[in-house]
Amino acid sequence: MFTQLFGNYLLNKGLVTSSQLSAALAAAKQTRAKLGVLAINAGYMDAAQVDEVHSEQQRVDKRFGDIAVDKGYLSAGQVEELLSKQGHAHLALGQALVDSGAMSNTSFADALSAYKSENSLTDVDFDDKTGNKVDELIAKLYSFGNDENSSMCTEYVSLLFKNLIRFIGDDFTPLAPEKIPSARVSYCAKQDMKALGFSCTTAIDAAEQAFIAFASRFAGEQLTDVDEMTEAANLEFMNLHNGLFAVNLSNDEGREVSLLPPVALKNDTIDGPVYRISVVYPFGTASFYITA
Amino acid sequence: MSVENLKILVCDDSLFVRKKITNVLRNCGVTELYEAADGEQAVEMYNKYAPDLVLMDIVMPRMSGVEALKLILADDPKAKVVMASSVGTQENLKEAINAGAFDFLQKPISDTQLETLVRKVGK
Repeated sequence: MFTQLFGNYLLNKGLVTSSQLSAALAAAKQTRAKLGVLAINAGYMDAAQVDEVHSEQQRVDKRFGDIAVDKGYLSAGQVEELLSKQGHAHLALGQALVDSGAMSNTSFADALSAYKSENSLTDVDFDDKTGNKVDELIAKLYSFGNDENSSMCTEYVSLLFKNLIRFIGDDFTPLAPEKIPSARVSYCAKQDMKALGFSCTTAIDAAEQAFIAFASRFAGEQLTDVDEMTEAANLEFMNLHNGLFAVNLSNDEGREVSLLPPVALKNDTIDGPVYRISVVYPFGTASFYITA
Repeated sequence: MSVENLKILVCDDSLFVRKKITNVLRNCGVTELYEAADGEQAVEMYNKYAPDLVLMDIVMPRMSGVEALKLILADDPKAKVVMASSVGTQENLKEAINAGAFDFLQKPISDTQLETLVRKVGK
């Protein structure tokens, strides 16, 4: 999830465009962070030094590590240490952005450093398997005001991202949430939830092709039209996600949530106020709604 | 009874879920499969076909899975009805088991879970 959140950061800062990020997210799956990016991340080299070694590589048939050692930028031990590291997924994204020319080594180094500093992140945090740090970052990014159910909304979004990774794919960038008076939806799967003291509407909405592509990924088969199967797949994604949310709420807080059967909507309105959380996949944007 | 001879009724309001489950069951060798889209249909089809196993969703329009389970068991106390829901909360689990469910599966249901269940019932 660090990768998606780092992507969100780069997008929000205007350092990359949405299409550059989508392409890099797709490429990052087959990309491994190289020594230059790993050295920048570790703080062993700065971007100018990495660029210098890359330039040298154009002239001399030597490996990056050998040149960096010759120039005194890295020790042989540091080269070994960096090579032994797999490198975290967000670094593969950075590498893909540098490889595609969307970012320079310098802009990537600056962005990574600022991202770590603004979020008080260390490399140890990126290894955190408990998910606490990710939850913390999501809570910071996805604030839902001060009402009593705001923390529940944050938990909802946090689980949504996990379920997107689990059932749809990790090549998405989450956008900042928006609070809007009501939502006009085009192709939509909606589900209402009720519990003691609250009720809300949740939904996924997308343009036709993105709606089909989202359903195709969830179904694990190529769907071609917005037919009964496509609608059913997206309805079931909402049902599954909301069901898992209800289980968590029941287990963690003893709150029982009941779900109503999900329904499909087309060119309709969801009355608000409503929060919109959009995620950008290479196939298009999917917007999720939760009423405030 | 062998798996091939089992009669199974899959009840879920989602066409997507019914298709997924029936595909896996067919791959397991089950040939006699019935589908219902809500609790009412499930009760009707149970009475008509007397399946060996029912896979029953909980949240459905018209009649919930738990209501259907109760009606099926009222007529056939030996019915094997497995509740399959995305909302596997303690309360739902308790309600289903108290109502006489044979088992409870939390969605998403894996192929392995279904295969294990079918083999267990087919023994």
